[in-house]
Formats: sequence, C-alpha cells, structure tokens
Amino acid sequence: MKLKRLEVLSNEELISINSASLELLSTLGIKIDSPSARKLLKENGAEINDNDLFVKLPEALIKNKLKEVPNFFRLHGPDGNFNFEVNTTSTQYATIGTPVKIYDPSKKSGVRKTILADTINQIRIVDSLKNINCSHIDVWPNDVDYLSLHAHCIYQWVHNTRKPYGLGCLGRLASQDMMNMASIIVGSDDELIKNARFVGFMNPTSPLYLPQLMTNGLEVFAKYKQPTIIAPEALAGATAPVTLAGLLTQINAEIIGGIVLTQLFNSGAPVFFGTVSTITDMRSGNAALGSIETGLITTAIAQLARFYNIPSRGPGGITDSKVLDVQCGFERLQTLLVAAQAGINYITCAGTFEETLVEALELLVIDDELVDIVKRLLEGIDVSEETIGLDVIKKVVSNPKKGVNYLGEAHTRKFMRKELFIPTLIDRNRRSTWRKKGAKDIIASAGQKVEKILESFSPPKVDREIETKLLDYIKTVEKRTLEDYKIAEGISAGNISLPGIDVKVEDK
Amino acid sequence: MVKLVVFNMALEDKLKELIVGWDEDGLKELCSTSIESKEAKPSELLKIIGKVMQFIGKQFEDEEIFLPDLIGSANVVKNTIDEILDPAIRKSGESKETLGRIVIGTVEGDVHSIGKDLVGSFLFSNGFEIYNLGEEVPAASFVDKAEEVGAQIIGLSSLVTMTMGFQREVIKELNSRGLRDKYKVIIGGSPTSSEYADEIGADGWADDAIETVLLVKKLLNLN
Repeated sequence: MKLKRLEVLSNEELISINSASLELLSTLGIKIDSPSARKLLKENGAEINDNDLFVKLPEALIKNKLKEVPNFFRLHGPDGNFNFEVNTTSTQYATIGTPVKIYDPSKKSGVRKTILADTINQIRIVDSLKNINCSHIDVWPNDVDYLSLHAHCIYQWVHNTRKPYGLGCLGRLASQDMMNMASIIVGSDDELIKNARFVGFMNPTSPLYLPQLMTNGLEVFAKYKQPTIIAPEALAGATAPVTLAGLLTQINAEIIGGIVLTQLFNSGAPVFFGTVSTITDMRSGNAALGSIETGLITTAIAQLARFYNIPSRGPGGITDSKVLDVQCGFERLQTLLVAAQAGINYITCAGTFEETLVEALELLVIDDELVDIVKRLLEGIDVSEETIGLDVIKKVVSNPKKGVNYLGEAHTRKFMRKELFIPTLIDRNRRSTWRKKGAKDIIASAGQKVEKILESFSPPKVDREIETKLLDYIKTVEKRTLEDYKIAEGISAGNISLPGIDVKVEDK
Repeated sequence: MVKLVVFNMALEDKLKELIVGWDEDGLKELCSTSIESKEAKPSELLKIIGKVMQFIGKQFEDEEIFLPDLIGSANVVKNTIDEILDPAIRKSGESKETLGRIVIGTVEGDVHSIGKDLVGSFLFSNGFEIYNLGEEVPAASFVDKAEEVGAQIIGLSSLVTMTMGFQREVIKELNSRGLRDKYKVIIGGSPTSSEYADEIGADGWADDAIETVLLVKKLLNLN
C-alpha cells in the first residue's frame, strides 16, 4: 500500500478549530484597509467598522463563499504546452522565497547579492528539472529598478522557460502589468483567464489583517482567474499565540478571510489554502522555518485544506542555516518529508536556505533529487503475487551454484527502476572509487550539474511581434514614478490611466 | 565490400536487440541459423557479439544502464557461447580469437559473488575469455583451471577480511608447483588494497570492474 498520510488533528479537533476561527471572524472580524474591498464585503452582508477597519464576516457568507472555491485547476507555461493540474490529492513541487543573495563560495562571506543574471539562471534550472514545476520571482534582481522589476522578470520568464511562473500580488498596478504582459504573450485576456499562467502570493499580515497593497493585487489576480496562494507567515509566540492550536485558529481565520474576498472579487477564482507559518525562536525572536513545529503547522493546514476541499500550499525543503551544512541538509529534508507526507498539494521553496533569503542553484538541483526520494517514500510498498516473486525466489535459491544472487534475473530488471530510486547526485561509491572520481561532496556534484544544465540550455523562441510589444510595455512601466504607484494603490489621491486599468482615487 | 558492411550492420542490430533484451532463446536460434545457412562463421558472430558487449560495457561505465542490465546481457551471451558458438568453432576447426584467458573466483571460505561476477561480466564484455570458478574456490582449483585452459591471468576475489589470507594461499600454490612466473595474479575486494597486493606478492590490484579491465590490459601489454 501507499504510505499513510501524516495527521496531527482528529476530526473533532478540526471541527473545534474551524468553529473557533469562524467565531473570530464573525465576532471580532478581520482588518481590511482597502475601502473598495470593505464596500464589497458590506454589500454581501458583512458588518464593517470604518473606524477600526475591522470587517465581521457572518458564518453563512463564509460557508457559501468556501463552497465556490474550485478543488482543482491547471497551471500552464507561456505557450501552454507544459501544464499540470493542482488538486486536493496530488502533490506538485515549486520554488518561492525571497532570496536577495546567492551562494558564492568564491566570496569570503560565502554569498553575494543577486542580480538579473541569477534570476535568469534560476528560471532556466527550474525549466530543466524533472520535479520542480514552477518558478517565481524568487531570486531578486538587485540590479533592476524595483518599480519595473516585475515587468523585467515576466520578460525573462517567457524567454527562459516553458513552465508557469509566480509573482507576489503586490498592488493592483504591478498585478495589472503582469496580466497585460501575460495577455500579450498568450494572445488574449480570454486565453489567460481560460488557461492560467501565474501563481500569485498574498500574505495576510498576522494577526488578522489583509493589507491594502496585497488586497489590491489579489483582486486583479482573482479577476483573471490566476490561482492565488493565501498564506499567512504567523510566528507562534510573536504574531500568533504560542500554542500551535491558537496559531492555527488565527491563521485559519486569516486564510478564510482572504479566500472569501477572492470569491467576492470573482466567484470560482482558484486559490491555495496556504501557510508559511512557523514559530518564534525564543532566544532571538527570529522565525524558525526549519523547525519541526513548522512541519506540525504545515500538516494541520493540509488537514484543514482538505476539510474545506481546497488545494493546499506549504513550505518544504526550508532551513534556517546560513551555510550548506548538516543543518541545511536535515532541516530541508525534514520539512520536505513532513509536507509531502501530510499531503500538501503545492510544496514550495526549493533551492533556498537561510529562511529562504538566500538561493543556491546547487540546492535547487539537490532538492529535485530529494523530491524523487520523497516520491519513492510516498509510493510505499507494492505487494502483489508478482512483487512477492515466489517463482524467482525459488529459482535463485534452488540454483546449485554457490554465491547465487538476483542481479541477472529478469524479475530484477523488470522491477528495479520502479522499486528502487536510483540517485544521480548522492554518492554510494566506495571511498577509493569516490576519491578517484574527484572526492566531491554533494554540493560540488550539484554544481557540476548546474553548469551542465546552463551550458546546454536552449531558450524557447519568442515571436518577434510579441517581443516588440513586451519591450514597448516595459518602456511604459519604466516611465512611471513612485507617485503613480501610490495613486494607483489608493495611497495618494489623484488619478492615473494605463492600459487595462483606470484608477481614480480620492483622499482616504 | 559495401554490401558486406550493410549485411553485418543488420546482423549486429539483430544480435544487439536480442542481447540487450536478454532473449537467450532468440540469440541461440539466430546464431545457429546464421551458422547453418553460412550467413556468418562462428568466429564472425563472436566478434560482433564482442562488439555489442563492448557497447553495453561502455553504457554501464557511462552510468546509462545499471548493474543488472550488464550482468543479464553477459549471462545470455555466455550461455550462447558455451552452448552454440564454442562447439561450432571446435567443429569448424577455426581458432577462437580472444584478448586473453582469465580464471576468476572468490577464495576459500568466502561465498560472496556480486563484485567478482561484475568483474567477470565486465572483462567478458571487453573481449576477454572468462572462466568463473564461482565461490569458496580452493587454491589448487585456481591453478588447475588455469593450467587446463591456458590462462594468462588468475583473478582472486575476497569480500571478508578474514578470508583475505586465502588469496596468499593461491600464490603459495603457484610457487610450490613452480608456476608462479607463468601467470599474472590479480586481487580485489573490499578489504584489499594495492599495499596488500604488494605484501602477498600479487601482480596487481584493482578497485572496481572498470579498473580491472585497465589493469588486465596493462599486464598483458594490450594498450
């Protein structure tokens, strides 16, 4: 049978947490500072308080909106050929993080600032990997102006991968740019809406707050039916109760609040029931993403997501280590294993370390192999007449020769690839052979694989007309000022008109 | 001339398919019918099969296929040679071409076969004639077999530290019969080392199957 799912909550406990979260949302509410979002909620029966910006969500509204969320959807690459389904039973693996530095052993500190060339390399590596199916704006191009960074990254996406992409829902203007550029790439808004290309991440701020910029972006993503990840990064003991049950009650309310909003923006908009929540390190006050408690929280979120019949997203392969050491290794496997065993449907953060703040392309290819290991574990043990193999056992054992073995048996050949995971980076040689092959540790072997992938990479072809339109669009974005963004997001008064978006904002 | 090459290619492809697919019955039948119809002489078939095995050996070395793939193909080929090609060669009076004859086995007290069999398969796929005596082979049996088949090399395997000492016994046996200079003795196995080979007076040590081929070629001046 297949490996049994990991669970940390009983049915009664799930119901208790659900009731407590609904009570929180209906009696205390959730803080939403976007006036248009509050208005929409009010029109749909929510009780709003314009002084403290809290919105109380009636239980009936929550229940109805949760029912509108799809339990499966597909994500597509730029040309649509590469695509995969996300649902409540399967598992997909992806990147996500916010690395602003990258592993560089030639530097004394072991890391350096990331630049656009690193962003491109990371997209290319993900494109070439077997198990990691989606990259995002993770590797931050520090050499690109931050106001037009999203446009440059989308340009690099279409030029360097056949897989889907992800971006933060950071504001309506940037999100609308993403949709406009994606529509240029895929041919039309209709095609983009029909076959989603992007994953958007929306992080509620704990405790119980949906900030304006992200709510603005969430609206755009929902309207274009691009799946969004609603994932609080609550820290037990700091931004959530120290008790994991308390944290779960609070983040469950935060996720539900975000999801209700997506369905009001556009009924049937796909979402992930997400988490990157963890604990506070009680010595430093830092987040402890690599902790075992992250696994407990992630497991509970997987169960809650199934309770609501919504695909889940959680972190795996994450570590707090600052170097590629044993801590980096065991924390990444520990978090990955638990997330996969828990049945999280979209496991993210491959290729990162130091709380996802640093990227290592070496870790990215190692994570791809770790996913193979995890997949093998999940397969469990297949028991059938053929796999028990009485015939081959009898044949080999009754061979009168000494030292008989199964290596040359057809049974071995038939099942070896299915039964045994055969690694490419993990070293199982004897010391002498290992030494002869250069005495490499796994980081060095992974580095060679990275080099090989990048050397042989052939970028996808982009139509000349699309190319011209994208470059023109980037020029438009580059002309904007910070003030334009502030107006568009409702932070300053004024009005602004852009392709696909007309914004007029009065004083708050 | 061109015609012959084309014919050989077709036969090689067929043989390769059967060997890679472990189709022992098919391989034996193809060899028999090719010989009967005079499509190919047994020695020609042996040459082509050798080429196919070399290809498979290279694939294993390059990590494109796995251990069972190699061993299974080698088993199928060995049985076909023993049952079809060798008798046919003897009958035709042709002489069998080989890079060298090697007697291998695991020494007395040791039942481990996998590493030794892999070495045998790998040497075989590289064109050597292999006489694999199996496991727990007494010192005298190595020498008897080498004498019988006219071998150039004796290969001794040992996985268990406690049985390493029996490798020395084979060298002692050769010395006592005055045959030490007639054969090159090579050793291998987890607990052994090149220092240990020197210590017991062996002619060479190799640490894996790929190295063994290089070592044997060096000892036989085949490079």
